[in-house]
Amino acid sequence: MNLLPDTYHIQQTFSEGCRTGKKVQLPGVVADRLAHYRRLVFNNIRDTMESAFPIAFTNIPSRKWNKMVKDFFADHACQSYQLWKLPLEFYTYAVEHSWDEQYDIPYLNDLLAFEWAEMELYNMEDIPVPTYRIEGSWLDTPLVLNPEHRLLSFSWPVHLKAKRRELMTRKGIYFALLYRHPETGNIQFTDLSPWLAFLTEQLAMGITVRDILDYAPQLHITDTDTLELDTLAFLKEMQQQHFVLGFQS
Amino acid sequence: MVGVGFRREFAEELISGEHIRPDFIELAPENWMNIGGYWKKILHRVVEKYLVLCHGLSLSIGSPDALDKEFLAYVKTFLQEYKVQLYSEHLSYSKCDNAHMYDLLPIPFRMDAVQHIVSRIQQVQDYLQRSLAMEIVSYYTPVAAEMSEIDFINEVVKRSGCQLLLDVNNIYVNAFNHQYDAKAFIQQLPLSSIAYIHMAGHEQVAPDLIIDTHGEPIIDPVYDLFEWTLAHLQPVPVLLERDFNIPEMAELQGEITRLKSICHKQWKLKDELVA
Repeated sequence: MNLLPDTYHIQQTFSEGCRTGKKVQLPGVVADRLAHYRRLVFNNIRDTMESAFPIAFTNIPSRKWNKMVKDFFADHACQSYQLWKLPLEFYTYAVEHSWDEQYDIPYLNDLLAFEWAEMELYNMEDIPVPTYRIEGSWLDTPLVLNPEHRLLSFSWPVHLKAKRRELMTRKGIYFALLYRHPETGNIQFTDLSPWLAFLTEQLAMGITVRDILDYAPQLHITDTDTLELDTLAFLKEMQQQHFVLGFQS
Repeated sequence: MVGVGFRREFAEELISGEHIRPDFIELAPENWMNIGGYWKKILHRVVEKYLVLCHGLSLSIGSPDALDKEFLAYVKTFLQEYKVQLYSEHLSYSKCDNAHMYDLLPIPFRMDAVQHIVSRIQQVQDYLQRSLAMEIVSYYTPVAAEMSEIDFINEVVKRSGCQLLLDVNNIYVNAFNHQYDAKAFIQQLPLSSIAYIHMAGHEQVAPDLIIDTHGEPIIDPVYDLFEWTLAHLQPVPVLLERDFNIPEMAELQGEITRLKSICHKQWKLKDELVA
């Protein structure tokens, strides 16, 4: 590197001032102009987070939200050269720093995970779809699923409720399936029961519906009379919704 | 040849070409690398219709940090995949202490910084096997300068062999903010190295400060400076940047038409451009 230590230090100090908003003194730098840089840099980060996490932004008191974004940007070295991926780092930072406890928002991790998954799915690279047939046995032919999906589990129903008071009384076990519509690219999501989440997970691994149904008693599912019918109805509906694409060929 | 910065906000209008019809589009590779779904389809449609130039955001040529080789590999692939004819970047830094800032920070005008940047530009040019066009950025304060801005830029261009992206609005903004003569500044540049021109709007936020926002229409004095500049240049592509406060397409097309008319007037005796 050709930079002299002094120049290196000046660049570090300038960028540190932009990241933290702390006043720094550098030769030739007009203080109020550095403040403009801080404003421009930080506004970009703030806007990115607001747009990535619209539900969190709307529902978390602005004082808390602003502190979160400021602390994150000041303390975390942003790694992605693609700005749209930065919200993943924000979410990860929130988990690592136990913001759910610090800010008394127990559902925060779930909410950020849900909103990030939606953004990631919307933008992520296309995943090639294996060849499949339209006809097949629902029970015995492995199904081909839309590979552009995420199966998430939550302790709070952040995919169903947005307001704190509605969420706080509903701690439990929840599953949500998000997938990208192959034609429109829009993200769809649906709430899943534990059984349907298990089913989805197993189908994605190439297990047949019959083999998954056979496993049901081991999950202590004893009311199996309607299980097969309900399961097949769900899968046929998901075929209409472009999540189940067809049958392995 | 006058193009427009490709924004998602008016992607469909660009594809339809009904109300806006630039000669080319410019996009930032960082915003489109490894993208899938709806926007990948849109990207392919727009690339089928228009010639593409690229203007990067994350190279951070003036950074004390090492060049990001993985990023450069993606850029190279992207430029090849979309047959990009010109790749430009900023004479600034946007990463320091291993942290991206996502904005253009001013480099200290110093000789060691020149040497540092020249070495990095050459590494990038060698790797990409193409010349880089470096944009003279707008800046709001000098930082520990030991040489003039014009000397700094000229040294970088002379030693690195890079081309220049002349953002006429940036020169106007810098001349206002730092109280120098924009025309005199442009006259001192290595004009034969200018490969690309940007035009944009700005916002005056204080009596002595203009911010380069890309969120307003181009003002008449910047058009005047543009026209004056063209008289001293060979034809090069000209880009209209509009990133915020996107107006009706008729207004943007009006700006494109005005820019084209100035190009035509000033370059009528020369060959109509070419990237």
